[in-house]
Amino acid sequence: MTSYVSILYLLIFLPAVLLVYNVLPKKYRPIILLLASYAFFWSISRKLLVFLLVSTVSIHHIGLWLTAVQSERNDVLAKTERSGKKAVKALYIRRQRWIVFLAACVHVGTLLVLKYSGFFGRNINALLQTAGVGLSVPILKLMMPIGISFYTMQAMSYVFDVYRETKKADKNLGRLALYMAFFPTIMEGPICRYADDAEQLWEGRRSTLENLTFGAERILYGVFKKIIIADRLNIMIKTLYTGYADYDGGMMAVAAIAYTCQLYMEFSGTMDVVIGSAELFGVVLPENFRHPFFSKSISEFWTRWHITLGTWFRDYIFYPLSMSKPLKKLTSKARKKIGNHFGPLIAGTMALFVVWLFNGLWHGAGWHYIFFGMYHLVLIVAANFVEPFTREFLEKIHIRREEGPYRIFRMIRTALLVCIGELFFRAEGLRAGLCMFNKMVTQFTLCSFTDGTIFSLGMDKLDFIVVILAVLFVFAVSVVSEKGTNVRRLLSTKRRIIRWAVCYGLILCCIIFGAYGMNYTPVDPIYAGF
Amino acid sequence: MNKKAKDIIGCISFMVGLLILFAVLSVIFVPKDNSRAAGMEAVQANGILGEKENTIDYIILGDSETHSSFTPMQIWKDYGYTGYVCGTNAQHLYESEKFLRQALKHQSPKYVILETNAIYRYSSIENAIMAKAENYFPLFRYHDRWKNLKFSDLGGSVQYTYTNYSKGYRFEDRIDGVENKQYMKPTERAKHITKINRHYVNNIINLCKEKHIELILVSTPSISNWTYAKHNGIQKLADQNGLTYIDMNLLQDQLEIDWETDTRDKGDHLNYSGAVKVTDWLGTYFKQSGEFTDHRQDAAYQSWNKDLKRYEKKVSGK
Amino acid sequence: MKEQIIEILEDIQPEADYETCRTLIDDHILSSLDVLSLVAELEDEFDVTIPTVEVIPSNFNSVDAIAAMVERLQEEG
Repeated sequence: MTSYVSILYLLIFLPAVLLVYNVLPKKYRPIILLLASYAFFWSISRKLLVFLLVSTVSIHHIGLWLTAVQSERNDVLAKTERSGKKAVKALYIRRQRWIVFLAACVHVGTLLVLKYSGFFGRNINALLQTAGVGLSVPILKLMMPIGISFYTMQAMSYVFDVYRETKKADKNLGRLALYMAFFPTIMEGPICRYADDAEQLWEGRRSTLENLTFGAERILYGVFKKIIIADRLNIMIKTLYTGYADYDGGMMAVAAIAYTCQLYMEFSGTMDVVIGSAELFGVVLPENFRHPFFSKSISEFWTRWHITLGTWFRDYIFYPLSMSKPLKKLTSKARKKIGNHFGPLIAGTMALFVVWLFNGLWHGAGWHYIFFGMYHLVLIVAANFVEPFTREFLEKIHIRREEGPYRIFRMIRTALLVCIGELFFRAEGLRAGLCMFNKMVTQFTLCSFTDGTIFSLGMDKLDFIVVILAVLFVFAVSVVSEKGTNVRRLLSTKRRIIRWAVCYGLILCCIIFGAYGMNYTPVDPIYAGF
Repeated sequence: MNKKAKDIIGCISFMVGLLILFAVLSVIFVPKDNSRAAGMEAVQANGILGEKENTIDYIILGDSETHSSFTPMQIWKDYGYTGYVCGTNAQHLYESEKFLRQALKHQSPKYVILETNAIYRYSSIENAIMAKAENYFPLFRYHDRWKNLKFSDLGGSVQYTYTNYSKGYRFEDRIDGVENKQYMKPTERAKHITKINRHYVNNIINLCKEKHIELILVSTPSISNWTYAKHNGIQKLADQNGLTYIDMNLLQDQLEIDWETDTRDKGDHLNYSGAVKVTDWLGTYFKQSGEFTDHRQDAAYQSWNKDLKRYEKKVSGK
Repeated sequence: MKEQIIEILEDIQPEADYETCRTLIDDHILSSLDVLSLVAELEDEFDVTIPTVEVIPSNFNSVDAIAAMVERLQEEG
């Protein structure tokens, strides 16, 4: 199985697990999920399963160790008088920090080595070469277990939460193992929090009819997005990005917009399949997307796109950094000098820099990923910096931000900025990205739209029509959903004929208009590589 | 009736309705002729569907090795036997089985040749499931025809009219040679054949037994593809099933393939001059078997003589 | 205390109704940078230290929640 949108997963693995899960008595159900998850992992990464197992066992041990240290501290505190309490607390915090540091070394260290040693090695070698030094660092070709970027973050969030005492360590190794390995989330997220999800995973609730129908409908919607829109755009996007030198600025714009569309449809579609899969078992996973293209600013965009990644960085990097003692001191000094808007912005920007550096790098070992992170950092910081001036200006000319045409303008502007970022994200390296962007801006022309070039990239007129109609359908569903309606619940209130017609319609659209079969090359999931 | 029973019946009816829709749409989407214009895939291999009923003496199945190495028109010219190459690039065994099944609906050949390269081609479970689904509901194979559906597709019946004048052979006279060398180095090892592939070979064997057809396994010469280990694997398979196995890579003294002139891509596939040698050998083999009749003067087979004229024009380069 | 908090909030993000809203964080009315400014002001104004573990949605989703947290931290000392 290389993808969730595959016959093997949707028509064989998932129904089989669902059947066995519901047939067995309650206490065996979580075990079935765990075994199925390991089987799923094994089918993709084989022996690399050992990495996941080691991670799981190690955080189990570390969690219990931290809790032991904490209860020891509580015992000591009870016997200490008021004046000495602070010192005791400080001592034990230090001990716990060492334990957390150890956990970070094991997990983040493994991730760094497996994922980034090549990147660091190549860059060090490049530096050594320019410095004229004859040495070079050997570059190991290492294999990564699937989902390592995702489960490492889940592991660290568990350790941090136990350290902060927002969650007690779990003695139940099985429950911890399922949290780490749950097959819908292992490959591409969403990144779960122990406090929110571990318990319901382990509960073993029986699937209700609503679980089954809503889950299946959600999966169907995700498949629709992926095989009709994302996969159909694939050939054209590959052609444009590998052969960008042969195409003009107008085609570069198409490349940016089409890739953003492909990425969104594929990633959010996969999330629909994954969250729908969990729903079949009565498990509610956190959402990863909330109609991101209705965002009015880049800041807002990142609360609607890959939500669990954003909240992870916010809770475990942004807040801890920006509210650390040294940065708090900096903030209060700055506030006195330049006011409460610009003061906190300094510490905020520094923390954001770290967040966006990590965000860029998390996606991959490459300079264009770092550029992507910095691009968004600059947009966010700049917007925040000019915020008071913008507000004043808009008030003066009597434009209301949250309504009417200006709101639409903000949405379109945000979407275009995102597309530019994605152009760099997808480009085959930073140099290629800069070249493509330069072309788009300085050599923009509509020639390729009229002289037939646009239909020579792998998609003909009919392909474009299908993609556009499908995107409009998704847009319509998004508008309804953004207004607060739960689309599936709405559907369930209609008569059977309508419900069946909608489902039959979606299924047949997927089968007829899906980009699969003898005329298409199979597409590797984009986010599974991270 | 309680709710649970109602729900289960509802689900089952939904599935049944879906299958009915698949069946109806399959009838609409299936190409109504075996020409490229009608939406048929692999038209050269599927040209056999347009041949007159019960006129094909032998069928050859396999990947690009088949349509590069066997030219049935040459055997027609020399002996008057009729044959067809149902070979496609990177053919999987489940495709070979499909070609055979559909050919046998209207033909009764005496021999079926399975080129062994396909037996080592990796088929995943997904491929196999998809292939089975496509056999039950051609909608899955031909869904892309939404781009060229016509009104006639709605009610039209299937009638195959197209046939290929070189009977599935693809003429290539380009020369891209390599050094002649001894590439079949004897070894004890036998290359493993996957369970899925064994299953399909068994299907083909059973189908041939049913229809009283002799199945022959053949390995065409390929200096870059074939090895002794692969030979051993196939020999074991042939012995286990009582099949004749002809490994042309070991018949160099009879075939006299010259790898400097007989290949079009450095030893992967033969070109026309190589195909002539291989086909010549095969023709002699068929003649010695005594199974076939010479149809060259037969009125019912005149179309073959017409095709021969076109074929000869093509291969002589005029 | 509530009035002071509302004043601080209006200074940071004037486009919200702090009297009634109970989803300041969940509905992204306050961004992470807003929260940073807010924490800095609260610490100054009420002479408390708000550690990172307290920066969670349930403490900041409404003016009442913020007030409750500040009072608790003032007591803990």
